[in-house]
Amino acid sequence: MLNAVIPLLLDSLASAALIFFAAVGLTLVFSVLRVLNVAHGSLYSIGGYVAASICLFIASRQFNPYWSFLALLFSAVCVAAIFGPLIERGLIRWTYGKSEAVQILITFGLFLILEDLQRVVFGVQSFYEDAPMRLLGTTSIGGVVYLNYQILLIAMALLVVIGLRLLISHTRLGRLITAVVADREMAQSIGIDTNRIFILAFSLGVFLAALGGALATPTSGIAPGLGADTMVLAFAVAAIGGLGQIEGAALASLIVGLARVLAIYLAPSLDAVAPYAAMLVVLLIRPYGLFGSVTARRI
Amino acid sequence: MPTIIAAAAVLVLALLPVAAPWLQFVLTLAIAKGFAALGVAVLLRAGLISIGHAMFFAASAYAVAFLARAGVNDLGLLLILSVLGGGLVGAAAGSFLVRYRAIFFAMLNLAVSMVFYALCAKLYGVTGGTDGMPVPVPAVFGIVLGEPAFKSVLFYLSLGLMVLVGLAVQRYLNSPLGHALSAVHTNEIRLEYLGIPVWAVLLIAYVVSAALAGLGGAIAGLAIGRVVPDFAFWTASGHLVLIAVLGGIGGVPGAFIGALFLELLHSAAVTVTDSWNLIVGMTLIIVIMFMPQGVYGLFARKEATSL
Amino acid sequence: MASRGISVVVARCLSSLERLFRLDRGLPQGNLRWVADGIAGALALGVVAITPAAAQDKPGGLGLGIFTFTSGPAAAYGMPGKNAADLMIDEINAKGGIGGVPVSATYVDEAQGAQGVIAEYRRLAGDAKNQVMIAALSSANCLALAPLAEQLEVPTVGWNCDTHQLLMDGKSKYVFRPNGNTVPEFIAYAIYLLDRKPDVKTVAIINPDYAFGHDAAKIFTAALKALKPDVEIVAELYPKLGSPNYQTEISRLATARPDVVFSNLWGADLENFVRQAAPRGIFTSSQVILALGETVLQRVALPDGVIVGVLGDGWWMSPDAKAKPETVKFAEAYKARFGEYPVFPSIKMANALIYVKAAYDAAMRKNGGKWPTRAELADAMKGSKVDTLTGTAQTRPDNDGLVDQIVGVTVKTSAQQFPVIGDMVRYKGDSLMPQPGQDPLAWIATLKPEFAKSLPKPGSYK
Repeated sequence: MLNAVIPLLLDSLASAALIFFAAVGLTLVFSVLRVLNVAHGSLYSIGGYVAASICLFIASRQFNPYWSFLALLFSAVCVAAIFGPLIERGLIRWTYGKSEAVQILITFGLFLILEDLQRVVFGVQSFYEDAPMRLLGTTSIGGVVYLNYQILLIAMALLVVIGLRLLISHTRLGRLITAVVADREMAQSIGIDTNRIFILAFSLGVFLAALGGALATPTSGIAPGLGADTMVLAFAVAAIGGLGQIEGAALASLIVGLARVLAIYLAPSLDAVAPYAAMLVVLLIRPYGLFGSVTARRI
Repeated sequence: MPTIIAAAAVLVLALLPVAAPWLQFVLTLAIAKGFAALGVAVLLRAGLISIGHAMFFAASAYAVAFLARAGVNDLGLLLILSVLGGGLVGAAAGSFLVRYRAIFFAMLNLAVSMVFYALCAKLYGVTGGTDGMPVPVPAVFGIVLGEPAFKSVLFYLSLGLMVLVGLAVQRYLNSPLGHALSAVHTNEIRLEYLGIPVWAVLLIAYVVSAALAGLGGAIAGLAIGRVVPDFAFWTASGHLVLIAVLGGIGGVPGAFIGALFLELLHSAAVTVTDSWNLIVGMTLIIVIMFMPQGVYGLFARKEATSL
Repeated sequence: MASRGISVVVARCLSSLERLFRLDRGLPQGNLRWVADGIAGALALGVVAITPAAAQDKPGGLGLGIFTFTSGPAAAYGMPGKNAADLMIDEINAKGGIGGVPVSATYVDEAQGAQGVIAEYRRLAGDAKNQVMIAALSSANCLALAPLAEQLEVPTVGWNCDTHQLLMDGKSKYVFRPNGNTVPEFIAYAIYLLDRKPDVKTVAIINPDYAFGHDAAKIFTAALKALKPDVEIVAELYPKLGSPNYQTEISRLATARPDVVFSNLWGADLENFVRQAAPRGIFTSSQVILALGETVLQRVALPDGVIVGVLGDGWWMSPDAKAKPETVKFAEAYKARFGEYPVFPSIKMANALIYVKAAYDAAMRKNGGKWPTRAELADAMKGSKVDTLTGTAQTRPDNDGLVDQIVGVTVKTSAQQFPVIGDMVRYKGDSLMPQPGQDPLAWIATLKPEFAKSLPKPGSYK
């Protein structure tokens, strides 16, 4: 099994990168808006569908296939620009100050609506668009052939982690967000336009989700039901890392990716159990997640 | 509660399959889901939202399948044993779950239910994996029935159980234990100061709710004839919470009303449109936003953080 | 807007019921609204209850309940089946229907899950106009519907029910499987592989995680071990049905470095797997067997030399098929209407419909021209031998079907834009089947290497 160590690590990183994209938006939205968006997975799959549609269009019109890369980014921006403000203004804003049950139910209703919207707009067949993957070629590492696209994904995930950290710590917008996260009322009273911050933060979360979906499509197919599967996985990762902690989400994706890959290599019949078992174990020991700050209230 | 109206409603339900035989299956399933939603509603009273109750629904359904495979062939025995099984799983899970509140309670329930789902889906040798397990037609008090006759017996039994168990849960909710649940939602610390062990109150409520969900699952497994891991998927739990909320948390009938309306609407809508989820989602949002009556307690009370 | 209207009506009905049970505890509302909504609710219930009853009496039409996947990843396999049914039913109706009665189909999407499929089956079976069910595609649904078919006494033709678990007890009266089962299908691959690559040492398996995947793995492994005991299975992976991403599984396969990779993935799963595995060299480093590979020949560029088959004899370009003018016409009509040639699920569905028509003809001959009952139909299907588009389907006493098995390898050809199957072999239906009632795995264990020597060799079917 020793020859499997390098592939194991690489596979974990590649898995982790995809999972990270799914989870980071969820955790970011929770940290700023204090809302758990059950529809987050649907936004991930919408991003994937839009990206696949645009790439298929590019392929059918015989344009230069390198445009597909731009298309991936562009589709994420589109989805964020349209859905972000719409959902935040229309639905989420109404739930501020109400109990979590209401928030979860409203976003669950949104999830149901979005799932059917995807079926209506994109149809019920599977999509596959792999031009970006094929363009980048392959490398042989440790005796196993890997797609360079997978390495690109790992690089992009790292970029997002660093970028978000820089955004929060070193830009004005980041400071405003930190203020709103720390104490919403205080931020409002010193003149920060919290409504604008909320819309921006939520749209950023949607962008990250849609980007995740878009980046995932070249290496995996997209079909109805992807949103539901991704949601619970994203949720598990966000919970393990600590809701609201971006670095926590990164570490948690590594853990979940590693758990899943180890299961496939060593105990293939348990590969689906691994992420949730990891979530259960971590939450039992640290209910606020690995990087979460407050201790659980036990009575 | 106006008993005459309730009795009339039950009578209408009992007679509907005579008018439209295909409705019987739908109504049986609706009552089963109503039981599970009632379980969720019990916990909602304490302000605890559980996105994992489909696990108990599935656990009891699988218990029925395993017991049938082991040779237990009596309807009454199957129901009782599987509900006990569901209650046991509830006690085991609840013993550590009820220490958590709010979002963490929801998350842990979800985690446990997804572990359960994944185990059921992947252990092909034991649980049949994603294909599930068959549930054969059991005998009723020693009489072996044909399939259509059994399904009628199951329906009327469920109807009867709905009334009996509904009354029992109503009594439970009106008892000191039940009122303590609402008190936990309002101000938990004060309750502790009064000397009432919150952990015990919640654990009892959790076991009751798990047993209710288990009863629903057992009936559903017997009605459908097949148990699949999808019974435990998180969207199924979400639907249970949805039903509890749609029906209104004001009382026991709420859960059954919600379940019946959702199933009937589903049967009517599915012949017209494929976008069933769209309708349900919009109904849910409309009910929550514009119909406070349907969402008791969630609005009326926000947790007080101080004594 | 209709759905909004419906939801508003529902919401208002709910609110008035709340008031009925005094759940609103004293919030005043107009009595008139109470009455109006109560009536609306009762009307809604009444409409729901009455509608199916009104649809019941429809003489002069034969209804078929056809179960397939029309959405999700499995639709890549299921839609060709539906398309073939559409085309075949149109052709039958153009020739006057079955016994002069026009045929219509109600399609049930298996993607809704076992619960929905069972509910739909019951609903359709309750309507006397629907005499035959053609179900199902997924072995999970086949296993779920079989007991129901026996209980409700509805003749059910398993158009794609390969799983050998379906008819194992041999007591079926209403469930028929004219298209063959997993035992001969996967033994055929083992024999073909050993004929082509006699020095095989290591094998890896990647199958979907459900009955079909596990059955195939067991049968293929048992057959290999019986015919060449020193073969070693180095990896067995069972990804969940519908998984979109196989990158980790592909890495696992690559690290195991097997001589042979066997897979009975199907539908979009197979397309995804091939698209993800091909650039990573799996097809060059190992001999790949794609048991359902013919379905993707026209969609993904498979390299040469991949062992593929059609789980039966439904290859529209086989010598037998090309020799039947009816089949050639069907294939051309299918291509004209749907843009690609019929893959083997389409042929299986078409053959199932031919089987049903033959049963009607036989039943009516037997009872003097009267329209047959469901029981008479089931009787007619028992032991029948039907000429299909691509061969014959012989029904055994235990309702299992005997069809020939075609296996070959992919080969590029200038005649078509997609690879075709070359180096073909056609095994006779009964040569690879255990006796009725015999445990398949026990029977396979008794096979000896000499068994394969008596069978036709690759390339012998031209």
